[in-house]
Amino acid sequence: MDVQGLQMTQNTPAPGVYKRNPPIAGEAEAIEAAKNGDAEAFSKLYALHKRRVYTLCLRMLGNVSEAEDMTQEAFLHLFRKIGSFRGESAFSTWLHRLTVNLVLMHLRKKGLNLVSLEETINPSEEDAPKRDFGSRDLQLTGSVDRVALERAVASLPPGYRMVFVLHDVEGFEHNEIATMLECSTGNSKSQLHKARLKLRELLRQPEQSTQPAGIDEVAV
Amino acid sequence: MNNHGLPDFDTMTPADFEKFLPEIFANGDGRVSTDPRLQTFLTNNPDCAALVRDLEAIADQARSLFEPTDPGDAVWTGIQNKLKMQGSEDDDLPVHQTV
Repeated sequence: MDVQGLQMTQNTPAPGVYKRNPPIAGEAEAIEAAKNGDAEAFSKLYALHKRRVYTLCLRMLGNVSEAEDMTQEAFLHLFRKIGSFRGESAFSTWLHRLTVNLVLMHLRKKGLNLVSLEETINPSEEDAPKRDFGSRDLQLTGSVDRVALERAVASLPPGYRMVFVLHDVEGFEHNEIATMLECSTGNSKSQLHKARLKLRELLRQPEQSTQPAGIDEVAV
Repeated sequence: MNNHGLPDFDTMTPADFEKFLPEIFANGDGRVSTDPRLQTFLTNNPDCAALVRDLEAIADQARSLFEPTDPGDAVWTGIQNKLKMQGSEDDDLPVHQTV
């Protein structure tokens, strides 16, 4: 994937993302100063956006070490390319897309680059959610513990996790996800549904270990 | 089938419901349990209703996963070090001094 081509596209942001990215006081000045190589301005931009970028990486990768590495890469990439930011979308939206695309590239380099993502976001049969409605005594009680859900999300196969995080956590629409992941809209909908089913299955089995899934597990 | 390729909600089976659930979730506002077109079906099929409630609860709680977390201090240190190393080698890098 041409990361720069995608990240520099300043489309209208998804409603969910836009709501989460209101203008930040002093940000515009820092961006302009950073374009001219102002070190303090870069430092300010890092301080303003580090949590958002790191959290996104952590949710998508499910691994602290990898998330920190990708956060570093995202800001290094930002520092290189900030001159091309034209302000047609919120800076945070632009940075968000840049980060998503870097993470996707990272995942491809880890083993998803030999076949199309359309295929690889489909986990193995073993990882796939069981196709059952579930007896009612095993249903969730209408509420989900956040910590338990975080653990369950981290243990999802990477393909499921990506679509779930992008849609349910980050607020992207299916058509945007389809563009980012180079798959069909129908595939995005299907993967989201399977991810939720898998999470339901995991949350109904709290006694089972939910270790984060390795990248290799996504290979089909 | 209706205009969205979905089955008739009044006559569909639980198997139909399972098959089309991803599309049903995607076509509405994400609240299948309160969709008036599905109330009769969900009332008559409690396991399907339980499934919908669970999936909606998961989607609802997912929003709370957005709470930001700070990266470790090593991340900024790593950025500074890389910028120092690359700054003099890379004309594309707009940084001319240590961040």
